[in-house]
Amino acid sequence: MPAKYLEAEVRQEPGVAVIELRGEIDGFAEEALAAAYEEAEAESPETVLLDFEGVDYINSTGIALIVGLLARARAAKRRLVACNLSDHYVEIFNITRLSDFMGVYPNRESAMEEVSAS
Amino acid sequence: MTDPKPARTDADLGRTLADFSVTSEPGNERMAMETVAEAVKDLGISGENLERLKTAVAEATMNAMEHGNGYRPEVPVTVEVLASGGELTVRITDRGGSPVPVPDQEAPDLAAKLEGLQTPRGWGLFLIQNMVDEMNITGDSEHHTVELVMRLEGGEDAG
Repeated sequence: MPAKYLEAEVRQEPGVAVIELRGEIDGFAEEALAAAYEEAEAESPETVLLDFEGVDYINSTGIALIVGLLARARAAKRRLVACNLSDHYVEIFNITRLSDFMGVYPNRESAMEEVSAS
Repeated sequence: MTDPKPARTDADLGRTLADFSVTSEPGNERMAMETVAEAVKDLGISGENLERLKTAVAEATMNAMEHGNGYRPEVPVTVEVLASGGELTVRITDRGGSPVPVPDQEAPDLAAKLEGLQTPRGWGLFLIQNMVDEMNITGDSEHHTVELVMRLEGGEDAG
């Protein structure tokens, strides 16, 4: 089965950089994810929002990549939040305790409302 | 989540729904996952339970390909899917030798990983244990088998 690589597009909003993700988050995603995060950080946003609406697969290597991004955000005193995860991946974020360290929102609107209000 | 138990013998298991192999190359865990999902489609596993099963199969297959077979394409991972007595069993076997990996009883320490005290990796076995009702690991000098067990609703295998 051919791998479906990750596409990541960055949209800068006031105070928030949104990374729109499409495809799979696994070992093949490292380069695209790192490049997108670097682009997101370039404007020094207070918050980086990972939008998973276009993501249909995250494996344990992908979880490790997200942990790496979260560590990087925390070191820079930046918030990392997530939206549009499927129910299954919300469960995985809960099991791994990622949701204890990063806000998880059902959709982009609620995420943007929350981060803008803070 | 239960402690690992010895794998069941073939005499304990009913019909074989699928028996296939994948080459040990990154990304092929997707093929294993989708093939198992197709094999169990008449058993009434759907929604969140199906997603849990798929994740467990993908993670176990990844482990087998990477740690058991060293991502050598010429060494396959075999996958058997069996159903009997209200249980679905998926066995994933690699060609790794002993020792048999023992899963940690504690969850990975995310706080330590975020502090850079541990590698960000190490989630695979933990995810598997949380996705299925039982995970049993056995092995000898030439093989490791991870056995995943999911109890079927109603206590009977459909189809």
